[in-house]
Amino acid sequence: MEKLKFLSDEEIKAMHEATLHIMAEIGIIWSHKPSLDILTGAGCTIKDNRVCFPPELVMDCIAKANKRPTIKGRNGKTNNFGDGNVYFHNLGGARDIFEAKTNSRRPASNQDAVDAIRVLDALINCHTVTPFFTPPEISNEMMSLHMYRHTLPHTTKPVQGPGIQFAHEVKFAVEMANVVGTSADELTLSLSPVSPLTMHDASAAAVMAMAEAGVIHSNLPAPTGGATSPMTMTGSIVQQSAETLAPLVLTQLINPGCGVLYCGRLGMLEPRTGLIWGGVELGLSSAATVQLGHYYGFSVNVYGFSTNAHTIDAQNTFERGLNATIPALAGADELSGIGEMEAGVMGSHAQMVLDNELASSVLRLRTGLSADVEHLAVEIIGNVMNGTRNYLGQKHTLKHIRAGELALTRLAERNSWETWDEKLERKQMADYAILEAERILREHQVTPLETQQEKELDAIMAAAEKETLKKK
Amino acid sequence: MTEDLEALYKEMAQSIIDGESEIAIELAKKSIELNMHPLETITKGFVIGVNYIGDQFGAGEAFLPELVMAGEAMKAAVAVLEPELLKLGEAREMMGKVVLATVEGDIHEIGKTLVGTMLSASGFEVVDLGVDQPAANIIGKALEINADIIGMSALLTTTMVRQREVIEELDKEGLRPRIKVMVGGAPITRDWVTKIKADGYSEDAIGAVKIAKELVGKADQ
Repeated sequence: MEKLKFLSDEEIKAMHEATLHIMAEIGIIWSHKPSLDILTGAGCTIKDNRVCFPPELVMDCIAKANKRPTIKGRNGKTNNFGDGNVYFHNLGGARDIFEAKTNSRRPASNQDAVDAIRVLDALINCHTVTPFFTPPEISNEMMSLHMYRHTLPHTTKPVQGPGIQFAHEVKFAVEMANVVGTSADELTLSLSPVSPLTMHDASAAAVMAMAEAGVIHSNLPAPTGGATSPMTMTGSIVQQSAETLAPLVLTQLINPGCGVLYCGRLGMLEPRTGLIWGGVELGLSSAATVQLGHYYGFSVNVYGFSTNAHTIDAQNTFERGLNATIPALAGADELSGIGEMEAGVMGSHAQMVLDNELASSVLRLRTGLSADVEHLAVEIIGNVMNGTRNYLGQKHTLKHIRAGELALTRLAERNSWETWDEKLERKQMADYAILEAERILREHQVTPLETQQEKELDAIMAAAEKETLKKK
Repeated sequence: MTEDLEALYKEMAQSIIDGESEIAIELAKKSIELNMHPLETITKGFVIGVNYIGDQFGAGEAFLPELVMAGEAMKAAVAVLEPELLKLGEAREMMGKVVLATVEGDIHEIGKTLVGTMLSASGFEVVDLGVDQPAANIIGKALEINADIIGMSALLTTTMVRQREVIEELDKEGLRPRIKVMVGGAPITRDWVTKIKADGYSEDAIGAVKIAKELVGKADQ
């Protein structure tokens, strides 16, 4: 199907040129000496506290990058980004868990973190699992590794490593991935440059470590339009693009061909209360980010399932429905956010189940329509008109029900009022999602790691803790 | 109050409401030329504008950028008037001293900076240490300036735990309740504040000013 475009080819070219101009003339705040040496050695210049990137160097590094990387889970399953499919993954780093049954929230515990991974493992449309919760009892230095370690035993899907902040986390994450049979070049990690246009020393060191190890990674700037990037969305997107591409240049200079995903996490300022994460601007900016990333040939990962809502309500549903659909139709290669609520600080099992359902509809939209002979079905129409004059008994009908002409829902209510009222006790979609999440937690089995693997993971965590304490 | 004077005070308040730093500076200079008392210029003129925009924001009628620009305009006006106060051997009576920082491991500063702007616009003496500040720096600076309040920000769910570390350190050193602690940031909830035993928190900069005033016993000012 034709991709949804909000910007003309000329406008995208203008955004590309603006990105290069920002990188070449305005520059990125950057003070980390070892990485600066590499950048200046390749032709970057220093202007005050900023590093400026020659356009030809940026384009050369984009050309070198592996823009269609493949990640692998311990079940051997792979996600091949850029293959024309849209992959889905969950929110990472939520603080609270929302209890849909009681409409309440509480800080997530270690057990919640594990349960969330098991639910995501069971959901057919969650293709990549990201550590979901950040239990507050874990120290900041160990949080990312802790989350990763406790994700690995509870899913066999490809695990997108947590957002890291420090170089030493890379080494231990790679070691843990190796334990479950995922090599560095099949593992993804992500790191967030700070907006506007800033690479802190720890971030630069972490990018170097990921590049050296050959880890596929996402540079994941998260500007807030109106606060840390321009209020105008295209302005924010070009700044975001510069923030994504600057560390990519470093990566490709260190390790040409290292796998990368082009990402955007632009949220807009809610000028009265803070951040908009659910407004339709998110879908719009995600779609434009996809368009710009595709201009360079990248696989693009953007936010999709997103809301500011505090509960599973009307706002939640229409916000995430629009925000998942719009970038998906623009051709996003990966959409993030399964399970997200309240602008990303909260998540819930029931929400994950609902998003799995929404993902089915999004996939159906992505499949689009076909107007080939089989689908135009002129012959069938003729046969039916000469025969029974209904299509129920046609093999063609059953064939295409089975082939996915419909996104058959398991959760949406499609019975009569009477059935709904009398037999189904007026259950709504969210009620079914709660039940389904409970069923998954009760019944879903994940192949456990071998005892030896668990021991190795513990040993890696112990070594990581020791190194962290030493750094303190 | 003469009509002229009243009109001038109104202009001053309006310059803050409009976030027009340059006009605020001009009006501050004009007040000096007219031999107006700088304290009265602040309290009867410029502060009225800050309070108005704060109230409007609280009511959902003003936007964050207006708050920021009003705070900056206030700071600019006060910077012109402060030397005059010193000449008179007076100082603007400060509400209290606040050390602000974003906690270690966290490099986000917009919210904290906005709180700093609004606190200083509202009469607090603010030392903003910036981002990624270890507990020792924050506490050290608080002791050095004899701060009434430490304000800590964290944007990330992974770094909010640092707020607790600073509070535990303050408790260990027996520095509370002398030094009050307020916290803020996107992931901060009332439950978290209770859990780490902070003295106050707010979801926005206007609320932060209110809390800070309460913590120094000047809620009515």
